[in-house]
Amino acid sequence: MKLGLRQVTVFAICALVVSATALVAADKHKSKKGQTGMPQMEDSRRALHALNRLTFGPRPGEAERVAAMGVDKWFEQQLHPEKIDDHALDARLAGFRTLNMDAKTMFQTFPPPQVAKMVENGRASIPRDPEKRAVYEAMIAKYDEKKEQKQDAQNAQANANGNNANAPADDDAIKRQRQQERREAREAEAGTIARLNSESPDKRYQDILRMAPDERNRLLQALNPQERQAWMNDFTPQQKEEMQALQNPQGVVVNELQQAKIIRAAYSERQIEEVMTDFWANHFNVFIGKNLDRYYVTQYEQQVIRPHALGKFKDLLLATAKSPAMLLYLDNAESIGPHSAAAGGLPQRAQYRMRRGPFGYPVPVNRPQRPQQNQQKKKSAGLNENYGRELMELHTLGVDGGYTQKDVTEAAKVLTGWTVKQPRDGGSFEFDERRHEPGQKVVLGHKFKENGEKEGVELLEMLAHHPSTAHFISKKLAIRFVSDDPPESLVRKMADTFLKSDGDIREVLRTMFRAPEFWAPEVYRAKIKTPLEFVVSAIRSTGAEVDNAMPLVQTLNRMGMPPYQMQPPTGYSAKNEAWESTSALLNRINFALALGANKLPGVKVDTAAMLGNSEPPDAQATVAALEHSLLAGDVSEKTHATIMKQLEASQPNGGGMAADHPPNTGMIAALILGSPEFQKR
Amino acid sequence: MAITRRIFMKGGAMAIVGTAAVPSFLTRAAWGAATSGGRKKLVVLFQRGAADGLNIVVPHGEAAYYSMRPSIAIPRPSRGALSAIDLDGFFGLHPAMDAFKPLWEQRHLAIVHAAGSPDTTRSHFDAQDYMESGTPGYKGTEDGWLNRAVASLKEQNTKESPFRAIALGPTLPRILLGKEPAVAINNINDFAVGGRNPNAQPLANSFEAMYDQSVDAALRGTGSETFDAVKMLKSADPSRYTPAPGANYPRGRFGDSLRQLAQLMKADLGVEVAFADIGGWDHHVNEGNTQGQLANVLRDFSQSIAAFWTDLGNMAEDTVIVTMSEFGRTARENGNRGTDHGHANVMFVLGGPVKGGRVYGKWPGLGNEQLYEGRDLALTTDFRQVLGEAVYRHAGNHDLQKVFPTFQNSPQKFLNFLG
Repeated sequence: MKLGLRQVTVFAICALVVSATALVAADKHKSKKGQTGMPQMEDSRRALHALNRLTFGPRPGEAERVAAMGVDKWFEQQLHPEKIDDHALDARLAGFRTLNMDAKTMFQTFPPPQVAKMVENGRASIPRDPEKRAVYEAMIAKYDEKKEQKQDAQNAQANANGNNANAPADDDAIKRQRQQERREAREAEAGTIARLNSESPDKRYQDILRMAPDERNRLLQALNPQERQAWMNDFTPQQKEEMQALQNPQGVVVNELQQAKIIRAAYSERQIEEVMTDFWANHFNVFIGKNLDRYYVTQYEQQVIRPHALGKFKDLLLATAKSPAMLLYLDNAESIGPHSAAAGGLPQRAQYRMRRGPFGYPVPVNRPQRPQQNQQKKKSAGLNENYGRELMELHTLGVDGGYTQKDVTEAAKVLTGWTVKQPRDGGSFEFDERRHEPGQKVVLGHKFKENGEKEGVELLEMLAHHPSTAHFISKKLAIRFVSDDPPESLVRKMADTFLKSDGDIREVLRTMFRAPEFWAPEVYRAKIKTPLEFVVSAIRSTGAEVDNAMPLVQTLNRMGMPPYQMQPPTGYSAKNEAWESTSALLNRINFALALGANKLPGVKVDTAAMLGNSEPPDAQATVAALEHSLLAGDVSEKTHATIMKQLEASQPNGGGMAADHPPNTGMIAALILGSPEFQKR
Repeated sequence: MAITRRIFMKGGAMAIVGTAAVPSFLTRAAWGAATSGGRKKLVVLFQRGAADGLNIVVPHGEAAYYSMRPSIAIPRPSRGALSAIDLDGFFGLHPAMDAFKPLWEQRHLAIVHAAGSPDTTRSHFDAQDYMESGTPGYKGTEDGWLNRAVASLKEQNTKESPFRAIALGPTLPRILLGKEPAVAINNINDFAVGGRNPNAQPLANSFEAMYDQSVDAALRGTGSETFDAVKMLKSADPSRYTPAPGANYPRGRFGDSLRQLAQLMKADLGVEVAFADIGGWDHHVNEGNTQGQLANVLRDFSQSIAAFWTDLGNMAEDTVIVTMSEFGRTARENGNRGTDHGHANVMFVLGGPVKGGRVYGKWPGLGNEQLYEGRDLALTTDFRQVLGEAVYRHAGNHDLQKVFPTFQNSPQKFLNFLG
């Protein structure tokens, strides 16, 4: 039976090779032999290939520009992002204040919902600043409302249990009722809306801010989306943030980060840095939805990942290990050595109370303890293996890197005491000696003498320089940039560079870029774009202007790749098979249709740029221009014929979709963006 | 929802009239002729993140259970909502799963304890991969066992539908990868080219033509599965099927998945195997006991399944639902009132033909010397014995070597919870 499976595999591989060869032949890109004797792609394709692989996709005319300056020169420039001017991007991001906010200010400005209960219990107070105050009050109003709803639901449940004849209303009835409620709410608020509409944006903002929370909630719920958008457009970025914070304060932090990811990917001139930041943020994945992590992922990306994205791997690894984001995500912040002072000196339960309040939020250490807790039995556990395991499996050695369960446990002991100081107050890394497991530890046969925080540093250095790590990281890079199943010859070259250069990521990328395997004709357009790559490459190739990236974030959510929301520590797959599915394909086609027709709110495609800033004389020329600007002409005969046919069919009636440039440029663009060819890079 | 549904129905009706070449099975489904009478259905549900089986089906008869879990143990039965729901005097259900109690009493629900993958890995990723490939320890396996289960069924069943194998979610999971067409569907209402715009049909045809001729085999395959499925779904119009009275799905992704799965099954789309998953089981910190993180996700899990069961109505007679999770968790709680990665776990089997009301499998005990590596529940039932029995006796696929090639499986190894 194993044989049978293998046969299937062999067959699949043959089929792949044949089809890849067919593609290359069909596309008339004859290969030539490089110096190594390995077939190489033509010079005219090299710039395009480099852009497809190392950036989020070429913009109109970019392949020509890169070819003119020389691909190698472009690559070297990209490896030094600090020398590339990116002011235009900074301007686009200027509205997102949280990107440069420290975690402490974030907590205060955009507090988590639990703060409402803390205010109620007298453990937090309402700030004086009118804007912050409004946010707190809105939150408390929401909290009270939720409590009432919960009570109502319980009562309803009790009633339902007593009376089964009361069958649940069907969806339609509920919908009708909600519509009715909305209509009534709308009528009640019509006067207020009209008055606010007549005011200047600033006056309007001040008036909304001054409303009582429930009054404001009624107003905001009565607004229709167009009105809401119109008001938002008039506000300054800070006012926009405030308006959103009144509804969902911590959502501001997450949404700004998600939007910034798309805007950076789409508009940064430092594309390799951006791609590598995405690569490492995914490699060292942190789920933004885990407890307090939503306040730490912003700085994690900006201060931990990005500065090291092209630096030394050991520095990157150490920075992630000490980041509050990772310490909280993989629970090392909670880990306590079983024989540490923290585990033995004080009873575990009392410890626990001291560190964590009712919502899992740590509370000040000087809170009085109930005396009976000190009488409880001592407990020796406290070790949390989560980080120790993922550190070896996912961050460094790889799952086959040759470690055992014993190594995981010992590594976890080495790292005890690595925690976060005051995590709910913008905390930072702290080594807590009292939690550190005393004694010698052995990881991968290497002895770690008792040495406090330095043990962990030593362990991370050892892992960062391990041959398994060099191979694992090199292979992962090659999967992202070359092919799903990269040649071992390439991975070995990259791993050698990794080991010789003290894990210098820039050098490893250079080795990859210079290797003939990177330029082999069979890897040309062989990778299926991930949803992020697909969406951003569509934005880039159409020269689209993104005023509001949230619709794009929502598109990624639907495609199964919500930014910063991958819950397991594995991150998203860069392999083709992960993204080939029916639902995903429909979502891609539908995104292409919406983008082409300019129907995505907040996103406007640049028709003129797509057409090369010229007026094509006829439909034929329009199609040719779009095929060139969106796909560099890599369009199969069938796709081309289908587009022409569709164009003819829709011409007499003026087309089924809104056209902003005759002939229906939007529709042609949509067909190209949704074509099989555009799904690949 | 109401508005959407009406537009969708209209679009669906137009699509039937306007589509020239509709396969015969489509028209059958569209005109509502009964075609699936007695078609067996196998539904596999995955709890991703390693669910804590010892707090789900609680061995309340084991003193060691209580000594190893001082703060997270579920109290022995007979203390109302604050204690385990007794099953057989030794095992009890977590109180958040009271939705399962009637299913147990009606003998539709069986439990297999100390089951799972024999591989020693404690990596979520590897362990999930193994349970989905069906070949623990062999990473080279390219397809998933549920896909292979359909592939070998094919010879026995000539009626084919693009919905024979479906996964609820935005991407196709490992378990359904393989030669046989399988459909991933996230939201029934969006499952059409142009979404809810009925005028997009010409464009749909254009995209279909492009993908049909793509040189990329994978994209071509995905394309044809997609466009077939879209057409079929349009004509069958599953949105007509609202949840049956009493089928109260909790809000959330898992409840949504099962609600939509029930719609697809009731719309007679030819579903034979289906897959859905639910995350949020990896409780290293503050797992909780009768209340808390695990209780919350268990409530969602059990209420969704119970609603699905109710919703299926008579169809439940032909349906077997199996749950699994990549591994269990440590028998002892850790220092953060949570549990770390362990070994054996619990599986649920629910279905019309299931001989329920019984806990199957050999209980290995929780004594120190009985624990696997001194820390985890030992494994006494390979998950493929359970799945193999469902595939063999329910789905009627007797070629177990094809479905689980690295496992010596045979009816002698079955636990006999079926037939």
